[in-house]
Amino acid sequence: MRPQLIRELETLLGPKAVLSAPEDLMLYEYDGSVELGSPRCVVFPASAQDVAGIVRLANRLETPIVGRGAGTGLSGGAIARSGGIVVVFSRMNRILQVDAANLRAVVQPGVVNLDLSRAVDHLGLYFAPDPSSQKSCTIGGNVSENSGGPHTLAYGVTSNHVTGLELVLPDGEIVRIGGKSIETSGYDLCGLLVGSEGTLALVTEITVRLMRKPEAVKTLLAVYDTLDDTTESVVEITVRAITPAACEMLDGFTLRAVEDYVHAGFPKDCAAVLLIEVEGLKEAVEAQAAEITEVCREHRAREVRVARNDQERNLLWRGRKEAFGAMGRISPMYYVQDGVIPRTRLPETLRRIEEISRKYDLQIGNIFHAGDGNLHPLILFDERDREQFARVVAAGGEIMRHCVEVGGALTGEHGIGMEKNELMPLIFTPEDLALMERVRAAFNPAGRLNPGKVLPMGKACGEIRVPPMPASATIPT
Amino acid sequence: MNRPAQGSFTRLEEIAGGAHVVTDGAEIASREVCGVRPAVIVRPADAAQIAEIVRFADAEKLAVIPMGSGTKLGIGLPPSRYDIALDLSRMNRVLAYDPHDLTLGVEPGVQIEDLLRTLAEQKQFLPLAVPFSDRATIGGIVASNSSSPLRHAYGAVRDFCLGMEFVAGEGSQAKSGGRVVKNVTGYDLHKLLIGSLGTLAVITRVNFRTFPKPPAQGMFVASFSTPETAFGFCRAIAHSVLAPQMVEVAGPGAGRLIFSTEASARITPMQWAVVISAAGQPSVVDRYARELGHLAGAANAAEFLPIHETEQSTIFARIREFPRLVLEAAPDAAIFRIGVLPAAIPSLLNGLSEVAKRNGTDLATLTRASGIVYAAFFAQAGSEAASPVNASVVKEIFRICTLPENSAHAMLEWCPSEMKRVGVDLWGPWRDEFVLMRRVKDAFDPHKVLAPGRFAGGI
Repeated sequence: MRPQLIRELETLLGPKAVLSAPEDLMLYEYDGSVELGSPRCVVFPASAQDVAGIVRLANRLETPIVGRGAGTGLSGGAIARSGGIVVVFSRMNRILQVDAANLRAVVQPGVVNLDLSRAVDHLGLYFAPDPSSQKSCTIGGNVSENSGGPHTLAYGVTSNHVTGLELVLPDGEIVRIGGKSIETSGYDLCGLLVGSEGTLALVTEITVRLMRKPEAVKTLLAVYDTLDDTTESVVEITVRAITPAACEMLDGFTLRAVEDYVHAGFPKDCAAVLLIEVEGLKEAVEAQAAEITEVCREHRAREVRVARNDQERNLLWRGRKEAFGAMGRISPMYYVQDGVIPRTRLPETLRRIEEISRKYDLQIGNIFHAGDGNLHPLILFDERDREQFARVVAAGGEIMRHCVEVGGALTGEHGIGMEKNELMPLIFTPEDLALMERVRAAFNPAGRLNPGKVLPMGKACGEIRVPPMPASATIPT
Repeated sequence: MNRPAQGSFTRLEEIAGGAHVVTDGAEIASREVCGVRPAVIVRPADAAQIAEIVRFADAEKLAVIPMGSGTKLGIGLPPSRYDIALDLSRMNRVLAYDPHDLTLGVEPGVQIEDLLRTLAEQKQFLPLAVPFSDRATIGGIVASNSSSPLRHAYGAVRDFCLGMEFVAGEGSQAKSGGRVVKNVTGYDLHKLLIGSLGTLAVITRVNFRTFPKPPAQGMFVASFSTPETAFGFCRAIAHSVLAPQMVEVAGPGAGRLIFSTEASARITPMQWAVVISAAGQPSVVDRYARELGHLAGAANAAEFLPIHETEQSTIFARIREFPRLVLEAAPDAAIFRIGVLPAAIPSLLNGLSEVAKRNGTDLATLTRASGIVYAAFFAQAGSEAASPVNASVVKEIFRICTLPENSAHAMLEWCPSEMKRVGVDLWGPWRDEFVLMRRVKDAFDPHKVLAPGRFAGGI
């Protein structure tokens, strides 16, 4: 006899839309982080009504529910930490409307980020948030995590690009918030929902802003012999109020791994490079590119290269976006962090990360959004070495503490999830957290929606979570 | 009403100091909100004092309305209770300004003009060109989500506010967001406070990202005989590679207010005026001048003029101050602020203008081409009517906004208090999301201490 939960879900959605065999569930135990958790079952709704039905059933049977897009998240947001039902939105993957006149699109949550930009490309439009996983991650996941990407430096993160949402609340009610117009009256509920990591409601429809592609783009690669010169260049670009569309940094170690994999023409003998992009009217692009080149040269860049055509440009970006994947060639596993610091503190922070790397005897690669101070240290490890893994977690915690000490934040775009929720007290007081708890309860009173995420559970205050031994040697890309 | 005797405010004096607790009649009258007077004014020095004041109010079942210079207290419904006017004018410090990081943290009582001056010393600014700029404070601007013509290029407060500190309904001091330019740590509670009219929490600190001042700037005006051609021009701009700082369309009634100064006399008379500003390198501004001229010609503009440098700031200020100019000219005006899709603007404006004609009122509209319409209805000269629009006209206007072809969201931002007392709903027809807003209110302010009754959905 199949359990009641599975039987009822099959009745609701059809047997093909419900997975419950252990070998099927294994695929949904992990995401792009180092976390793990097994669901009771995985379901694939086709509509908001399906989702509402699932939620009502989960309530009746007091079962946790976790929403999931493509599972590329980097903080365990889509993992069924307390078991229960994982709701995967891959069947809800239609672009419902493209309104070019008003620069809007209405999409279902399962639409892949890059697919939206491709679908509106012929109109000269695109969707601005561009996480590295944009070939596979979904817009529903972007909304949950308030995802960023290299170009958020100029255009903002997901929340700056969402005007309206359709929600299924934890009681099964379907509600629309916001709208299609640039502003709606009342509290900014969309502002709260975007980035709430699936703990307040399940999102079943999203209205996003589209942007017009710029007239001109110039991509520069500045090559350095020291890390300090690289980071000082970033500070100077910010200080001079030059506003590139993207400003990414890759250190020499990461660069070598990337170059061996992508063959983008990155120099393998340097300390670091900056990948900088300027966009806009061609007059503005020329002026900004000249100014950036000047700054880089003043800071002893040994070479400043400009991509001559789209092919060269795409290759440089491929190197950046597939860097995490490239790490898989040199290390069985890595642990990526997402701390943010004030941009002027970059030089000292990179030196601090070097110290931490030496102290814990770990290889740490740095590839990150330098322009907005959003770090992504990649700590490499072998998951079979338990002792090494303990050092990885300790080093991660130390980097995070440094970010907080210099006035930064725990996460710039990956989310808190189950990875950093016990670190929240480093930033927030008990009063801050109590209010967040109350807001969560206002939407999700029984805590049935994505339990154990974002807010600390109070078991290990101020400690980074030591995840279970990662089971898989697969490197998520 | 549970109105305490004047003598019972000794606790407030202990908290803020005797000099900062006022019960004098004339001053009390100046803190009236939609005709309702407080019993006492308190001027706290910091967030800790505010927390104590709110705790006191919570314990004594008193209602508190936070305020800065009070320029926008006319927005929203009359409070259902109102005992303590929480005057934040003493909290007027810039707490942190790091021009190299382009980040800023300020107290709520800082006046926008002072702040812009401080930022200008570092060749930076905040894109908050808002009404009442000579007195408006950051707290009031944020709490009423004041609209700025510069949102065309820079977005609204929600887009460049990095975090806030605040005191919620039971006197708890809390914060969300942070001081760095990119941050998804925890719930963005501060976004809820933007436009909340003080109903959720008292804002005690706001962190912003700042913006570098562009090296050069230009302003242009094109005039058109019909709204269709004017908005056709706006559409052409939106579909071009140009990205101006602002695109504002003044209808005939608004043009009289905006271009009525001596400096801009040569721009009148105009039917529909599209005012555009562009910024960047001088070569960029030159290009705007050329291409906007071409686009205006193709859109059948009657005229296209660069606005002379000496006139730019006057015209910019009049666009910025539009709601205030209307209220100064017609204190009984009803001013709707409407979020609308760009393509629907002409049809919405036609609908509004028919309502005005049918009811014998004058209409002045100023439209941000990205999709915000200010529609001001006021009594025609010589009219005897006490108020330019009545409840049924308001209903009609909301109905036009919610038509599928317009799909606009309106709020009646300014109107005479008498209209509010007869039950005109400023937020238009009921929306399901009001239920969620009420739940948010309960989470922040369970005992309804903060500005009760002032907000949408009976909050």
